[in-house]
Formats: sequence, C-alpha cells, structure tokens
Amino acid sequence: MTQNLLKIKNVKKAYRKHNLIGKEISKFSALNGLNLNVGRGQIYGFLGPNGAGKTTTIKCIIGILEADSGDIIIDGKNIKGNGLYFKNKIGFLPEQVGLYGRLTAKESLQFYGGFYNLSDDLIEKRGKALLAKLGLEKDSNRRVSEYSLGMKKRLALCIALLNEPEILVMDEPTSGLDPRGVKALRIVLKDLNKNGLTIILSSHVLTEVQEICSHVGIINNGKLIREESIDGIRKEIEKKSIRLLLKVKEFPEKISNELAKKKKIKSIKQKNNGKHEEITLELKEENIPWITDFLVSKGIQIFSIEPQKNSLEEIFLKETGGD
Amino acid sequence: MGLKDKYIQKSKDSWNKKKTWHPLIMSIVLVISLAIIHKAYWVSTTETNPDEIWGNKQITKNGNNWTIDFEEEVGDSITFKGILRTAPKFEVYRNDTFVPGKYSEGEALVYSEDLYGKTMLNVSGIRILVNDDLSKQFFVSEIITIKATLVSNVSTFDNNGEIITLVREGWVAEAEDINLSSSKDNYFFTAELLIFFTGLYLSLKRVTNLREQTGLVWHLAKFELRQGIKSPRMIVLGVIFTLFIIGMGWLLGDLQNGDPESAFFVQNANGALQQLCFFVFFVVSLAAIGVSVDSFHKERQANTLNILLAKPINRETIVIGKAVGLSLVVGIPALVAQILGLMFMINAGDFPSFSGIIAFIVCGQIMIFTLVCFQLCFAIAARSGTDVVMYGLGMWLLFAVVWNLLIYAISFALGIDVTADDFENDPKFQSIASHMGMLNPGYVYQFAVGLLTHRTLAIDLEGIPGWLILLALVLWPITCLKTATKLFKREVRG
Repeated sequence: MTQNLLKIKNVKKAYRKHNLIGKEISKFSALNGLNLNVGRGQIYGFLGPNGAGKTTTIKCIIGILEADSGDIIIDGKNIKGNGLYFKNKIGFLPEQVGLYGRLTAKESLQFYGGFYNLSDDLIEKRGKALLAKLGLEKDSNRRVSEYSLGMKKRLALCIALLNEPEILVMDEPTSGLDPRGVKALRIVLKDLNKNGLTIILSSHVLTEVQEICSHVGIINNGKLIREESIDGIRKEIEKKSIRLLLKVKEFPEKISNELAKKKKIKSIKQKNNGKHEEITLELKEENIPWITDFLVSKGIQIFSIEPQKNSLEEIFLKETGGD
Repeated sequence: MGLKDKYIQKSKDSWNKKKTWHPLIMSIVLVISLAIIHKAYWVSTTETNPDEIWGNKQITKNGNNWTIDFEEEVGDSITFKGILRTAPKFEVYRNDTFVPGKYSEGEALVYSEDLYGKTMLNVSGIRILVNDDLSKQFFVSEIITIKATLVSNVSTFDNNGEIITLVREGWVAEAEDINLSSSKDNYFFTAELLIFFTGLYLSLKRVTNLREQTGLVWHLAKFELRQGIKSPRMIVLGVIFTLFIIGMGWLLGDLQNGDPESAFFVQNANGALQQLCFFVFFVVSLAAIGVSVDSFHKERQANTLNILLAKPINRETIVIGKAVGLSLVVGIPALVAQILGLMFMINAGDFPSFSGIIAFIVCGQIMIFTLVCFQLCFAIAARSGTDVVMYGLGMWLLFAVVWNLLIYAISFALGIDVTADDFENDPKFQSIASHMGMLNPGYVYQFAVGLLTHRTLAIDLEGIPGWLILLALVLWPITCLKTATKLFKREVRG
C-alpha cells in the first residue's frame, strides 16, 4: 500500500471582503471541508470545473494561503506553524509564471536558490543540470524577458526543482503551451516521477491528466467528490458500453426496430446529416464485429464506423454535473 | 528550592514568556522615563526657560526717564541652562564693533567703553553680560549652565537729540560661573543609547531563526538594490536630487556670510544643517516613493510574488527585505548627495557640530526607510497601479509641500492671527507647529538633527521636549514597517 505523503483533512477556506472599518461585507466559500490523500510517488491529477477550488487548495498546500480550518498534513506533520520547514520540501509551478524579466536564467536560479540553505556552487551545479534537462542550457545567459511562454514555464520548473523537493505542485502546468511543449513537459514529469518525485497537478486538459497521472481527484464546490487511480478509472471505462457512430446510406425503420430488440444493443439513435444517416449504437466493444456483420448481411452500405469510447471527460462531466 | 531560588525561577519564566518585541518596547519606555528624569533634573536645578525671564522684562518710558525692570529683585542669582544661540566670538565688545553712547534695544543696554573685552551671551534667548572675553572658550550651539546675578545701573544716551536716562536692570555673570552641561547630558545620553540597544538586542535574540531570516532579508535586499539602482527612474531621480542637495548646501553655506538683516540670513552652521535636512527630505522623499511604487502591486500583477511566496521565507521577511533593499536604492545615492551637500555647505560657510553631521546622515537614512515603508503600505493595500501612484504623490504633497498650510490653518482655527507680523515667533504658534511636526517624518528628521546637534535629549526644541522627538524618530519607521508587514500578512487569510 502506498504511504500517504499529503493528507488534506476537512479543510475549509473562504474569501472575505471587508469594508473600511473591517466589517465583513461578503464571503465566498472556496473549500467546504475538502479531504484528499496523495501517496508518495504518485502523479496526482486534480480535476474540477472553474471555481471548484483547485487553485485555492494548491495555495493552501504551498502556504500562500492559510486554511480557515482543517489540517494539511505532509509526511505525518501538520503544516500549521511549520510553514518554512515544509516549503523546503515543496516545489511550486504556478499557472501564470511570473519571473523577473531583467534576470538571465542563471541569475534567476541563483536568486531563488538563495532562499534555500544551498551554497552558490551547489545552486550553480544543480541549476546547470536542470537547465540541460529542460533544454534551456543554450539560453541560460539570455534575459528571461526574451523567453517564450514555454521557455518561461520550463525555467519556472527548474526553479521549482532546485531544492530537490519531495512534492512538486503544479497549477495548470500545460496552460499556454503548444503541443510540442506539452509533450516535452509530459516526458520530463514522467521522468521526474520515476526518480521518486511526487507530483500534484491541477488541469483542465483531461486527456493530459489521463496520459500523465497515476491518480485523479475530482473536486466540485470545494469538496472532493471522487478519488481514484487511473487504472481503476480505465477498468470502469472498459466495463462500460461504448458508442459506435455509423454513417450509412440508408437505414430502414424495419432494421432499426429489429436491432432495438437485440439484447446486445443497449440504445439506438438515428439522425440525418443531409448526406448520410448517422446511427449511434450503444454496445459492448466485443460486439463490434457482430454488428458490422449484421448490417452488411442486411445490405446496409456503411461509409464509416467510428467507435466513441467512454473517457475520463465523461466521468468528470458526470461527477461534476455537466452535460 | 529556597524562596530566593523560587523567585528567581519565577522571574525567569515570566521573562521567557514575554513576546518578541517586549524587551524593545520596555527599553523605549525606559529611555523615555530617563529622558523625563533628565529633563526634571535640569528643571529642578536650573532655570531651563531663560527666554521667558528675558521676555518678562518691562521697559517703561516716562519722558526722558526710561527704566528696564525684571520681576526678580536686584541681587538675585539664577542658574540658567540653555543653548548658546550665537557664537560668543561675535559677541565680544571691541572698540571697532560698536559705538559708545548708542542704545541697543535687542541687548537692552547703552554701549559704553566699559564693555570692551566683555561678552554678551545669548543663552536660549536671554542676554547675559559676562565680564570676560569668551571667544575661545565657548562656541555656538553649546549647552551651558550659567549663574547670573541681576544688577542695576544708570546710563544716558542720545535719542534723536533727546538725552535719555536709562535705569537698567540686567543679568551679569563671571566666566567661572559658566559650565558646559554636556558632561551630565552625556551620561544620560549614553545610558539612554545603551538601554535602547540592549532592548533591541534582547528582542532580536527572541526572533526565531534570526540569523537565517537576516540572511534572507539581506538576500532579498541585495536583489532589490541591484534591480533598483540600475533602473532609469532611479538614475534620473538620483542625478536630480544630488544636484539639488549640492546646490542647497552651497546656498545655505553662503547665506551664513550674508547680511544679518536679510530675511534669508542663516545664523550658524547648525541652523543651516537643519534647513538642509528639509531640502534633503523634499527631494529624497519623492525618490523613496518613486522606487517603492512598483513593489508588491506590480509584482502581484506580474505574478512574480507567487513563486517568491512558495519559497521558505516569511511574509514579514519579504516586506523587511524589500524595505531594506528599496531604502538602500535611495539611501546610497542620498548618502553621496548628503556628503556632497555638506561639503559644499562647509566650504561656503562654517562647520556644523560633529554630532549634527552624524545625525544629518543617520536620521536621513531612517527618514528614507520610513518613507519607503509608508509607500509599501500603499503598494500592498492598493487595488490598482494608479492608486499606488496617487496615494504616494498625495503623501509627498502633504508632507513636503502643503504641511505648512495645514499648520497655518490649524493655528488659525485655534485663534492665532496668522496674518500678523512676526506671528511665526509666537510661542503658541511654534508649539502647534512643532507638535504637528511630529506627525510628519520630514519634520521629525529636522527636529532630530536639531536635537542631536546638542548631544542631549534634555532640551526643548521649539516647544517640543527632546524625548518626544526621539520617540517620534523611533516610532515612525517601526509603525510604518509594522503596518506594511501586517497588511501583507493579512493576505494569507485571502
């Protein structure tokens, strides 16, 4: 069983607005008793619609915000009152990467490295290795203001990893990156995780989460509504029926009625797109050869068959009440 | 365990339970108490308001018979304590400096040849005739005690063709009746400094990870310094304020040699130094605001704060580090400007007191730190960049430009006729202006330099006790820094 590295217990957090005399004029509850468990060595994907409380949770974990109540426990110790100690164990990559534009990558690493108890030589050595790993070695003497967004994200990741953290927390790490950047980041993260780094990331890009993460937590309205391993989700998907989209020339009602009576078919929908009849059938994946044989035997001319698998997105939408 | 041991243990426990800044607060309270005792010592042993004795004299003009009377009886002796407002070397009667037989209203006496070789001291406003040449024994701005006796004499003088007989009472002293009060003042002053620094040391000892946090403050401060000092804004501001301070230094030096009757005449180098303080404040405060505008608010907009806040550094340490760094950005060029301004002033005029020079520089740096912290409060709390700039400019306008108008308005509201001639010498007006000055860091800077020029806290400076000036000097930066850290820490609550 994986040992819990991060445990969030019944955390509540509200944003309050006060008037000039300090009286509370409005309150928005971002976290309403959030519970979360991240095991050592996991890549934990943190999912939720906009305003679900993902960024607030991340800010509470890294100490930018203080929870109103509840406990955030890292490695068995509560972070309350030990913020500085835990900040040494955490690396953070924010969604909007803000770096000092006048500094070069090397100078940035020296500056941020100065907050850890590291010698200049060690910062330089680690910095050089990280810049090489993230493909920034050539640009290490260029000013950050000249960097593209992707380069800035990579540099921010170098900064986050400089103290060799036990946990890397990332808020929407792929936002603003082009597909090549996303792929490169995915490779780096998997590599880091192989070396024992626990990663927590929030994302809207569900395919990314499915690709990278080993575990997923879905939150909505500041509460955890589902926590599951990706393998568990895969099994669930496999158990479920898939949808098959067929484009055919004609689809007589007689055949439709006949199919509807078959146990292998769970549902059947039909619509005309002007050029073809589009038939959506819900059935198990193993029955695809059977249905194609059946339709061909009935003389149906099939132009295309497109299986539509259940995905994390569907589970996410279902759990968060979306369509 | 004996009763004594129990008591010691209890005291130790109680001391250990005290909060971080309690020792410093206790030391400040002690310093203020000592300053009050210091003041009380002088009040009980000397007359510390000589100006009032001099101001209470009555001049009666009855035809050709004029009399000058004091409330005291002839033969009465009083030990006065005060500051030598004028240089004794310029107050010695020599045969080429006055015309015998002429009546001097300011000194309330008729010049005569008897006065040759004697010195007319101005001790905090009162005129005391000393039967000796003091030109090489005492100097301007020194604090002295002088035991003077009220004497009476009769003289005559020609007043536009009329022969006037003047029966005059006046204060006279011998050279041996004068003593520098600085030796006792120095004991008090040293004790006060020791208490303050002990309190500061004991408080700092209680800060957890002090060495580590100090290292982080310095790391952040060096970063801010490197970023700020090279910024075009600071280069332009630095050049402007250096030239301005040099120019004002030279002017104030030159005005010491001007016509004493001129409205712009500067009486002595210490007075010039105090005036230079205002001009330093006038331009340096603008630079302090200018460099602090971008802090926090702009960083929040550029998202640089999030990465910084995720590093193992306290929010207080971030504010202190930034405040120190930004203060150095302004403070280093300001130090150069201050030294150059002083050099030009000394070159054109006299040399101010050494303690005054030190105070001019050190208090100047404290003033810069205060203003940077003040502006940081705006930078942390404001909702937009425009707000930060507007608040900063508003603060500068208030403190550096319209403060005097505010004083006039309040004085007028309190019944002082601010349109009358010479109203600025009205003690009531001076008291209002001085007390209001404690609410303005620029005035506190001026007052502190004026106070420390005399190396004592036991004097009143334009109606303000020395300890109050010291308190204002300490409280201003602490309050601004504390407010800034509190505002920044508040954000952790969301």
